[in-house]
Amino acid sequence: MTTMYVEEFRIAQFGARLGTRLEGRHAREKLESLLQSLSDEGQVRICLNDLEVLSTSFADELIGKACRRMIDGEFGDRTMVLDTPSLELIDGIDVKLAQRRLAMLCLHDGRWRLVGFHTPALSETLQRVLDKKRTTARELAEELGLQMSACVNRVARLAELRLIRRRKIGMKGPQDIFEIHSIIDG
Amino acid sequence: MTQGLTRLTVETIDGVLERVIEQGAEALDLRGIRFTDPYALLLLGLLVLEMTERRHAPRIEWPEAPAVRTWMNAMGFFTEIGTSKAVRFSSRSARSALQPITAITDEAGIGRVVDGFHRRLAERYPLTELSRRTLTAIMIELFQNIPHHSNATGNVADPHGIAAMQDYEDSLFLAIADKGVGLRGSLGLRPGYEGITDSRALNSILHDGISRFADAGRGGELQRIVGVVRSWDGVLALRTGSALLYFDERGGDIYDVPDFPGVQLAIRIPLRLFDAEMVDP
Repeated sequence: MTTMYVEEFRIAQFGARLGTRLEGRHAREKLESLLQSLSDEGQVRICLNDLEVLSTSFADELIGKACRRMIDGEFGDRTMVLDTPSLELIDGIDVKLAQRRLAMLCLHDGRWRLVGFHTPALSETLQRVLDKKRTTARELAEELGLQMSACVNRVARLAELRLIRRRKIGMKGPQDIFEIHSIIDG
Repeated sequence: MTQGLTRLTVETIDGVLERVIEQGAEALDLRGIRFTDPYALLLLGLLVLEMTERRHAPRIEWPEAPAVRTWMNAMGFFTEIGTSKAVRFSSRSARSALQPITAITDEAGIGRVVDGFHRRLAERYPLTELSRRTLTAIMIELFQNIPHHSNATGNVADPHGIAAMQDYEDSLFLAIADKGVGLRGSLGLRPGYEGITDSRALNSILHDGISRFADAGRGGELQRIVGVVRSWDGVLALRTGSALLYFDERGGDIYDVPDFPGVQLAIRIPLRLFDAEMVDP
């Protein structure tokens, strides 16, 4: 896999205290334009630095709706991640992504965490992919002590949420074989 | 009934509404009032405006206590209802009003209104970063409900959204009110919720996080704010139509109240939360 192209999107460009859906809609137009401008596997890192307040309504209008459209395939294989200096600031994003049953990776204090909807099983599998950078479902199943079908289901759900990338590399019998990649570069 | 009333508050204002709306009183004697809170003030103002529109405005005898009159004036009350009862606006009274009555009209202006409330609060209290963020986020969510929902049907000429804030020795009081379509009118636009009652609308919004929009990301904001106020041992009153949710640190319930248009909300939070030890919601 080639090196991923990552573009930063600073929410504070719209103000330090952001709360209305109108403000969120305006910011989302800019975010979606940026997503569209990237190469097919490009990534937007949404940065929350220099923000004082980010309400749940703004979070839903900007992040929740853009994430929904990304998962619906409107931005190809492009992905989004979050980068926050404070866990309080992602409260609203966490609530609204969970309400929409969506999730995103968020960088805080040098560590990646899952924000929004998640289960212990998904978190465990995702963490293993993040650690390994590149793997296969078979390797994951062995390491996590799972039946192959259970592992394939977890991987499919993570790929659907754009939290990992899957690439078909062949077939074994009736089953597709995928190579699995972390969406975090480096 | 209002004769002998000395406190016009979130706990007593519905007695005034009952007297005017349900009993059709032509006169209201408020001369004995010694204290009024921002919620009662906003609701009284909306009552006067509503009854004037219905051409049935009661004749009101205003509080005689200078401190009360001065505060009402400093809050912009007499200007709000368009009477000539205003008293002189002294510098002392200007200081006493933390945040006078402010109109909330469109969504685009909410950032400016919240900045104003935020500035008033910051001038008087050394707020912690967390308390400032939490309160500001609450205000933004509550204020934007007015343009989003108060005229959801498009049938209200002027929902008259207003907000005010006052500090006391032990608490901070935020009030927001309108006389639009109410929670029932807004939620009733959603398929499956037509013809619901006020108390069911209140329940659906507060307990189930339902919004009039059938979008998974909408709704839940009021539910979360109620949870935050509870966690702070605060007082919350949310009134819509003929239903009132009221709770304080001892508990609460939904009560029947005289029918009045719109949504009126009061939040009273202990001032101790503004110390560095503020509870993280």
